[in-house]
Amino acid sequence: MSLIRTRGLRRRPRSTRTGRPTFVGYAVLVAVASLTLAGCLHGGDDGEANLLDEVNERGTLQCGVNDTVPGFGFVTAGGEFQGFDIDFCRAVATGVVGDANAVDFQVLTAEQRFTALQAREIDVLIRNTTWTSSRDGSEGATFLTTTFYDGQGMMVRADSNYQELGDMGGTTICVLSGTTTELNLESVFRSQGIEYTPLSFEDNDTLQPAFQQRRCDGWTSDKSQLAGIRSAWPQGQGGPDALRILDETMSKEPLGPVVRDGDSGWAAVVDWIVLATIQAEEFGITQANVEEMKQSDNPEIQRFLGQPVEGEAFDPGLGLDPDFAANVIAAVGNYGEIYDRNVGADGLGLERGLNALWTEGGLHYPPPYR
Amino acid sequence: MTTLESVSRRPPPWRNVRVLRIAFQTAFVFAVALFALYLFANLVRNLDRLGIDTSFDYLSQPAGFAIPDSDFRSTEDLFAALLVGAKNTLFISLLGIFFATILGVVVGVARLSSNWLVRRTAALYVESLRNVPVLLIILFWYLGVLLQLPPIGRAVEWEVLVVSNRGLVGPGLRQTDDLLVLVVVAAAGMAVAAALWIWRTRRFDRTGEPHQRVLWSGGVLLGFLLVGYVAGGMPLAVSLPERGELATTGGFRLSPEYAALLLGLTLYTASHIAEIVRGSILSVPRGQTEAADAVGLSSFDRLRFVVLPQAFRVAIPPVGNQYLNLVKNSSLGVAIAFPEVTRITRITISQGGPAPQAIIVLMGVYLVFSLSISLVMNLINRRLALKGR
Repeated sequence: MSLIRTRGLRRRPRSTRTGRPTFVGYAVLVAVASLTLAGCLHGGDDGEANLLDEVNERGTLQCGVNDTVPGFGFVTAGGEFQGFDIDFCRAVATGVVGDANAVDFQVLTAEQRFTALQAREIDVLIRNTTWTSSRDGSEGATFLTTTFYDGQGMMVRADSNYQELGDMGGTTICVLSGTTTELNLESVFRSQGIEYTPLSFEDNDTLQPAFQQRRCDGWTSDKSQLAGIRSAWPQGQGGPDALRILDETMSKEPLGPVVRDGDSGWAAVVDWIVLATIQAEEFGITQANVEEMKQSDNPEIQRFLGQPVEGEAFDPGLGLDPDFAANVIAAVGNYGEIYDRNVGADGLGLERGLNALWTEGGLHYPPPYR
Repeated sequence: MTTLESVSRRPPPWRNVRVLRIAFQTAFVFAVALFALYLFANLVRNLDRLGIDTSFDYLSQPAGFAIPDSDFRSTEDLFAALLVGAKNTLFISLLGIFFATILGVVVGVARLSSNWLVRRTAALYVESLRNVPVLLIILFWYLGVLLQLPPIGRAVEWEVLVVSNRGLVGPGLRQTDDLLVLVVVAAAGMAVAAALWIWRTRRFDRTGEPHQRVLWSGGVLLGFLLVGYVAGGMPLAVSLPERGELATTGGFRLSPEYAALLLGLTLYTASHIAEIVRGSILSVPRGQTEAADAVGLSSFDRLRFVVLPQAFRVAIPPVGNQYLNLVKNSSLGVAIAFPEVTRITRITISQGGPAPQAIIVLMGVYLVFSLSISLVMNLINRRLALKGR
């Protein structure tokens, strides 16, 4: 190579003609090697993650949601997100950042949701997710206060004569993949000895046409989801009256928000924001009377709303503003209002049932704010 | 600066091109390995921190879900579920490859036909299907055609077929007795038929008399099968479909999911294979067709004995490529609830199985399929290749 003479302008640095890399080449190689070495030797994260600070810094909350379930997570014709879970996303955003609209909604399928949570794509998953032991143990997830006590049900066409699950031998059942529904269906039907054929679809967009065309005889899902789907059933297919949800409940489905393992501070923050909405209903604080309630004589209410009681406002040490509860209620209302607006009287029309306060015979029992 | 170097004196290592090449390649490999190690360590560390399993033990957990159209029990482990999925993928891929090849060759030859209508129709088929994503074709067949068939309550019975949107059911075979005798005799029959084929071919090469090897081998095989069937006590019977209220019992059932996926894959891949075949036919030198005409071959014989054999030599690598694409496109069965291996893996992940391991296993399955197909295509290629090219 050194026998070749370059004419005119030197086109390559002299050293490349001998095959030796240039100074730049050496420098790049050293940089890459040292970076990878440093990366390798770098230990794990130092201490626990602190998502609360991160979210405050970012200014928005990344919330994993659904967009196909009327009443829980749905996109209206105008492109707005609406639903029970959506309102809780907004509640958390209000409590942490101070703005109910500072939410980045990440639509996730049932199969993606835990991977998205593990990979830090979302800060909190509020997507009608059932709390089970295997999810708690194997998905790196921490489940917080249950917001909706649901159960699995079966929806059939009104003109079929199925009155209970035992009648459904030999049928084909449509189910959404990646949900507890699939496993429950199998275990319930197998334990009762009922033969059936499952058809498990990725999403409702393909499942619904299959059910409409009578490819399957039954559609199983959480009863609240079935109620929502039934309420939105097109008139061309017979409207809501063309469908019937069987009375039998196949399983317990406690739905609630989910966060990642390893950040107990963040978990406590989200938990107490959710509990604040329930506590507010217990105190009788609504979106309308929040300001008025701040002047209440009841020291419990005053403490709850972050009003100074004998000098200082109460701060439980969660890392939130002392009056976060008042802000949350002013933005989204209390639990009862969220429920009525989305799935209750003004929404799907579901009874409170197990979702009532403990004082009304339901299961919601918020720990004392003290 | 130029210097004349004496050839006998070796330059010092830091100027020796050969040493430097080896040194830098080693350093590069080392850097890449370090980077890969960093990524792997990062993954394992983060999985551990989240408490997620980093081993392959999840495969021995009970599945908990059922798989339609199979004997799989939900109490069997996830590994067995994966095998069922892999079997489904394998069968649909093989069937798809078979039908796509036949259709592709036919359409490819049709595109070069002297008949204007045939040529235009083939061109229309190729151009429309090549430019539509496979998923859309599959969804069209499933949602637009097969689901629109009459529901089971109004299933259409036509001779021995029962057609509904729960599937196309035709006559099938039912096992009534032990199959062992039949299988053994059939295996013997196949061996004899193969031997006959080779003998007749060699005889033809030697003497030039028509080999009629299909008649000989086929006839002998058929004879053996008949003898085995009778000797085994008639272990197979025809089962006809019977229309039930919820499902059709008996017979052989082709579910709409299976049919939609097969149709979509076949039609799409055939359109690509047609173009490859057309190109390969056009690559055969014109002199060959002229010589075939001069010898007096009919146009069909010319195609069969002169043009296509030479064309296939050229077509084998790209067609092998299309086969690999077909195998990978079969993963689109997830969109229509067909239980192939990607579907099973996704169910596994969503039921709590660790995602990295599950995907690695899935990639391994597709790798095995793809490498096998590549191996076969390479063997065929080597056999057909012209010596010295």
